[in-house]
Amino acid sequence: MKQNVNWIFLFLFALISHVGFAQSQEVTGTVVDDSGLPLPGVNVIEDGTSNGTQTNFDGNFSIKVGQEAVLVFSYLGMKEQRVTVGSQSSIQIVLKNDTGQLDEVVVTALGIKREKKSLGYATQELDGNEVSDVATQNFTNALSGKVAGLQVKSSGTMGGSTNVVIRGNASLTGSNQALFVVDGTPIINQNSNTGGQRSGQGGYDYGNAASDINPDDIKSINVLRGAAASALYGERAANGVIIIETKKGSKNKGLGVSIRSSVMFSNADKSTLPKYQQKYGAGYGPYYQSEDGYFNLYDVNGDGVLDETTPFTEDASFGAAFDPDRMIYQWNSIYPGLDTYQQASPWVAAENTPNDIWETGYTMINSVSLDGGTDKSTYRVGFTNLDQEGSLPNSSIKRNNIKFSGSHDLSEKLRVGSNVNFIKTDGKGRYGTGYDDLNVMQSARQWNQTNVDLFEQRDAYFQTGRNITWNPNGPENLTPIYFDNPYFTRYENFQTDTRNRYFGNINLNYEINDVFSVLGRFTFDTYSELQEERKNVGSVGVSRYSRFDNRVAEYNYDLILNFNKDLNDDLNIDGNIGFNLRRNEQTFIRASTNGGLNAAGFYALSNSKDPLQPPLEYEADQMVDGLFARGSLGYKDTYYLEATIRRDRSSTLPKADNTYFYPSISTSVLLSNIIKKDWLSFAKFRANYAQVGSATDPYDVFNTYVISTPFNGQGIASLNSTLNNLELKSETSKSYEVGLEASFLDDRLNLDFSYYRTRTEDQITPVPVSNATGYTRKLLNAGEIENKGIEVLLGVTPLELDAFSWNVNVNWSRNRNKVISLTDGIDNLQLASLQGGISINAAPGEPYGTIRGTDYVYDDSGRKTVNSSGYYETTSSNNEIIGNIQPDWNAGITNTFTYKNFRFSFLIDIQEGGDIFSLDTWYGFATGVYDRTAGINDLGNEMRAPLTGGADSGGIILPGVNADGSQNQTRVPFDTYANPYGYARDANKGHVYDASYIKLRELNLTYSFGDKVLEKLPFNGASLSIIGRNLWIIDKNMPYSDPEAGLSSGNVQGYQSGAYPAMQQYGVNLKFNF
Amino acid sequence: MKKYLVTFIMVCLFTSCSDDDKYERLNQDPKNPTEASEEFLFTSATVSLGDFMASPNVNINVFRFISQYLTATTYVDEPNYDLTNRNIPKSQWSEIYRDVLLDLDDAKAYIDENSDLSQGQKDARLGQIEVLQVYAWQVLVDTFADIPYTEALQAETITLPAYDDAGTIYISLIERLQDARTLLSSGQGFAGADVIFGGDMSKWSKFSNSLQLRLAMRISDSNSSLSKSAAEDAASNGVFTGNQDNAAIVYQSSPPNTNPLWEDLVQSGRSDYVAANTLVDIMNGLEDPRRMYYFDENLGAGVYEGGIYGSQNPYSSSTHMGESFLDPTHPGILMDFAEVSFHLATATSTDLSYAVFGDALTHYENGVTASMNYAGIDDQVAIDDYLSRPDVSYDSANSNALIGTQFWIAMFDNPLEGWSVWRKYDEPTLNLPGSTGNPVPLRYTYPINEQNLNEVNYNAASQAIGGDSQQTRLFWDVN
Repeated sequence: MKQNVNWIFLFLFALISHVGFAQSQEVTGTVVDDSGLPLPGVNVIEDGTSNGTQTNFDGNFSIKVGQEAVLVFSYLGMKEQRVTVGSQSSIQIVLKNDTGQLDEVVVTALGIKREKKSLGYATQELDGNEVSDVATQNFTNALSGKVAGLQVKSSGTMGGSTNVVIRGNASLTGSNQALFVVDGTPIINQNSNTGGQRSGQGGYDYGNAASDINPDDIKSINVLRGAAASALYGERAANGVIIIETKKGSKNKGLGVSIRSSVMFSNADKSTLPKYQQKYGAGYGPYYQSEDGYFNLYDVNGDGVLDETTPFTEDASFGAAFDPDRMIYQWNSIYPGLDTYQQASPWVAAENTPNDIWETGYTMINSVSLDGGTDKSTYRVGFTNLDQEGSLPNSSIKRNNIKFSGSHDLSEKLRVGSNVNFIKTDGKGRYGTGYDDLNVMQSARQWNQTNVDLFEQRDAYFQTGRNITWNPNGPENLTPIYFDNPYFTRYENFQTDTRNRYFGNINLNYEINDVFSVLGRFTFDTYSELQEERKNVGSVGVSRYSRFDNRVAEYNYDLILNFNKDLNDDLNIDGNIGFNLRRNEQTFIRASTNGGLNAAGFYALSNSKDPLQPPLEYEADQMVDGLFARGSLGYKDTYYLEATIRRDRSSTLPKADNTYFYPSISTSVLLSNIIKKDWLSFAKFRANYAQVGSATDPYDVFNTYVISTPFNGQGIASLNSTLNNLELKSETSKSYEVGLEASFLDDRLNLDFSYYRTRTEDQITPVPVSNATGYTRKLLNAGEIENKGIEVLLGVTPLELDAFSWNVNVNWSRNRNKVISLTDGIDNLQLASLQGGISINAAPGEPYGTIRGTDYVYDDSGRKTVNSSGYYETTSSNNEIIGNIQPDWNAGITNTFTYKNFRFSFLIDIQEGGDIFSLDTWYGFATGVYDRTAGINDLGNEMRAPLTGGADSGGIILPGVNADGSQNQTRVPFDTYANPYGYARDANKGHVYDASYIKLRELNLTYSFGDKVLEKLPFNGASLSIIGRNLWIIDKNMPYSDPEAGLSSGNVQGYQSGAYPAMQQYGVNLKFNF
Repeated sequence: MKKYLVTFIMVCLFTSCSDDDKYERLNQDPKNPTEASEEFLFTSATVSLGDFMASPNVNINVFRFISQYLTATTYVDEPNYDLTNRNIPKSQWSEIYRDVLLDLDDAKAYIDENSDLSQGQKDARLGQIEVLQVYAWQVLVDTFADIPYTEALQAETITLPAYDDAGTIYISLIERLQDARTLLSSGQGFAGADVIFGGDMSKWSKFSNSLQLRLAMRISDSNSSLSKSAAEDAASNGVFTGNQDNAAIVYQSSPPNTNPLWEDLVQSGRSDYVAANTLVDIMNGLEDPRRMYYFDENLGAGVYEGGIYGSQNPYSSSTHMGESFLDPTHPGILMDFAEVSFHLATATSTDLSYAVFGDALTHYENGVTASMNYAGIDDQVAIDDYLSRPDVSYDSANSNALIGTQFWIAMFDNPLEGWSVWRKYDEPTLNLPGSTGNPVPLRYTYPINEQNLNEVNYNAASQAIGGDSQQTRLFWDVN
């Protein structure tokens, strides 16, 4: 980091020392927009003459004029401005946005500002407020429902990762995450979760690194959806780019102060939590020691008589029917030290279920920023503090962001600018995930005794500080068998983490002449993090302390030559030639105690019971250098043609084949300049074709050995299970896109339509091979995926009165994904093999993300068949396709009402289709936890009552047909875990749910203080908002759970295990400007 | 204008034309070597094989269930022979091919290139590798029947290996052991890296011959001439003569080098396994002294009650495994003297009358005695009492049932062999699992992923063996 600090000092020094420049006959100046960003290509004309020029890439101009002259500054999308020169030799102009929304200027690849109308590809902009109004720890969540073609899915845990995919999964096994770029700095956005966490085996979701971006600093977001938009970023932009511009100071502006304060409270959405049955208690069925078979016998109170005790070890609720008159020795009777020791208690359903563990959490965000500028400099300094308390006990995230941005004109031609961010994030008590006892939802959703009162468990823990669990081995062995006391888990077995991050850039702009300018830029993003996990002595399994020290860095060196010239009155050419060198570095160590902890509650590697095993070490450096060129021709402000080409060389490919080229071409035509109609305000046709080449991750070329802990001093080495490949070459994605933008009736109706198709070929894929080869996978250039889709943006202003307006924005997108091919002889690529016998796969002819498992057996009419005992026939193979993770379409509808100083908006977010497998009901239906397992049958009797053959019979008749095609009439029992709904008898298919939803995603009521009020206050501006988020799931088909919940960001989606509920958030947001 | 352009391009080209070799070096993993030594690979493969054989983990090895020595408490899918839910065939298949056979193949290449070794030392090491490889191949064949053999382990060139006929593989394995005999006697092999015998080459020779005897006896019904000649050849060249010859891995007291049994029985803190009534009832019936070693007296002194095989069983009211099996250093048996004795007893029984040394009675009693001694029962009186029981005492007219039962009891801690004994001798009678009544498997079905990844060869093999079913008999399991 030292090196970066030096850069910062150098820059600060440069800011302080003013560099003078000589007066001349010319008038010079800079044109910037509202936020102080320079505007290139502004027409500067001496009024009434043909004398004129344009601003260069940095917004600078120079023109020879007389003192009386009036200069006219015009730029499409901006209000024209006229200035009398007088005696000024230097003029600073701030152009204000014109209200018309179609003439906007957008920031595209490499930070190049372009008029949106000239772009031959789809972009969508968001105002910074759209993500910052809601106080959220991870701003990427706030993108959900707002951008066409963008799928956002959060895993549901506090601080957990968010999956951000644009236009579908294009890579079989590589990253499909969009690239985030902040002020020209590509942001590392990996999650450092373990492979086990990502495939549901337990662990913590530490979030995706893009969550470090501070929403309060964001001025605007521009989503470049296609590859043409991003060809200049190279391989990582193949998944689309989200370009973020942050707020900056403005030139010639006094000190401005902005303060923002917001708080959001959060509660678990009850519709996404289990509904427990309240009729039966602990057990798997009637096969224990008591007379009725539902209880064990043990002399708890020492009177020499055997007492009926709960079957403590059983993590299920297929036990005895509740009966308040029946006194049972339950868990609270066997722990000395509890008031209830040796006392029986009535056999009743718990008053407080595991759902009561959810508390009200909050997130407070306070920020202050200062900004301003002189005639040569701009600056902005911002500080933001985030303080989040999670909704589970003992969970919190604290984050501080400091950001500095500034620019200074060192001379007439040379400007230096910089952005530096420092972020410190501290997490504690993140939620355990997946199939793991550290995930309190595992027991709550899958393995629960409905007789256990959660608050009694809580009090027992706080009273004793010990792991007093409902699930001990027995009265004589009080150690836990499968589950700890959930409060013990939360307060003793918590993790902590801390991440220090620096990112930003320093850039130098040199204007060579009217045509050429050079940008030199160094960007950096570097962080170090420490994750510590604990399991105290006395917990289920082996006590443990582990730590993960991770350092990640990315550096980019850019040198870009820009040019812009009007060849004649009608023809403009602009473009650039550039060089980029990217270097990625990562090193980590994962170390853990071995065989448990010696002393309880002391978490250090030195407290390891057995000698430490060697920690896992990783170290990788990766370099990619790229040469690129872009040229754009504009004719009569109506026809635009652009082409790019890039050549990359990557260190991750074999030496002989490490270089690859890829081009793009795009065009746009302003139809409204050709067809002039009153009702047509604007119309543009656009089309593009683009290729993006990609390399791979480090270490896919040479084979290596895995060295493990020595055996009795003897070294151990084993070949890796993936066979690497000395002949890898780059992969290529090829896409085209056509689109139409139009606006009608004075912009009251806006439409943006896109159609695209992307094919990604020669994918570098660890292809599974017969394990008889001694390997499980072999790296090959194999596999092709196609994504094609439609995106529609519609903006309507149905009402526009003086004081009132109503605006509706709709985005709708449909992506059709298909795996075209893998490699010869391979008809399925397993992405993850998951508990429950489920797998997530890519198979030719199917959309990416097929869920495979056991299915029912159907007759010719598609009806489920039952066997002679009345249970469903299930396939013997768990290789059947039973679902797919891809949704049919997504949509977001935002309604905004403005009345005087009030603004009210709400966003409805819709997903149609997509499947999800629930391990929670797979097990939970077998363990009899849910209300569905204790209902009334067709005869009006309890399902769980025994089969009698008469009118009083329990059991159920499954809808289905017999082998001979007749309707099933055979009643099956429902009195044990081996019932037809749970894992013991059901097909996986029965636990695949439709992930569709309609959610009231966001609600925002803002009052902006008017001038009259402000006059009496020391503010220039102030507003108060009431915000709600995820307040209401209007409709969903998945029971007991949020269809958005998942494991982690990444390619393994469509699976829930110990899922977390949706969080309803509500709060207020206050903003002041001085 | 042009000069700027030219300069710019020059700068770019200059920077980007830095050395390709530097780029390649970046792609070489500094933390994982591209080279290893034959010692590291040999130890690794040995431990992997031993771990697999000893593990009771329901995701890895369920032979302790299938042979009905143990059963489960709450989660009874595996004792009911649901092996696909947890992909157990795949675990075994990939574990043996990947972590045993491939690493051993790779070790051979390093031996060839090692100029520090004499030819004799090289041969001796290759001999040790051969014995372990044959052992591993036989584990696969005895579990699955036909498997990829000649085309296996060649991922660079063959990713769709064809399956070989199981009987033909057996013939090849016997030949390889006969060749290994010469190799093993030509010098000093792996010593420190040998975690079975510590480099004692005479014990390796006995192990090789004992393994040949096992293979030979397995095919007594399917290929009687080879069975006879190979068994006689093995016996005459020297097999195990006592428990001191046993091929076993001595585990360490701390993870990860403990006996895998300890991980699942002790370290996990779970209560998944109890003794199965199948074994407990038979041993109770014989008043078998080994019960005090095999089982815990958790139900009271001398009280042994097995969990009902394949049903749910309360942990607290069923007999647990004995103390010795909870010790992390408990040895992992690959092959022992008791097994050899029972093979010899079978070979010398009146049914076969192979020309090997000794007689069936002696070998039978050797087998029982070795098993007793191994279980810590050295009291010869007690052993003699047991051997003289009418339901134990050797009777040539009833040799199959007697040998089968005693062999099966003795293989308690070598459960794959226990399952094979049951398949070969059809003794003792195993129970049908309580929850489902499914029949005892005669083989594993092939891994599901072979259907996807090697479909044509999978289909051919399935057809060749008579269907990919748990109830398809192995070629040697003919009567």
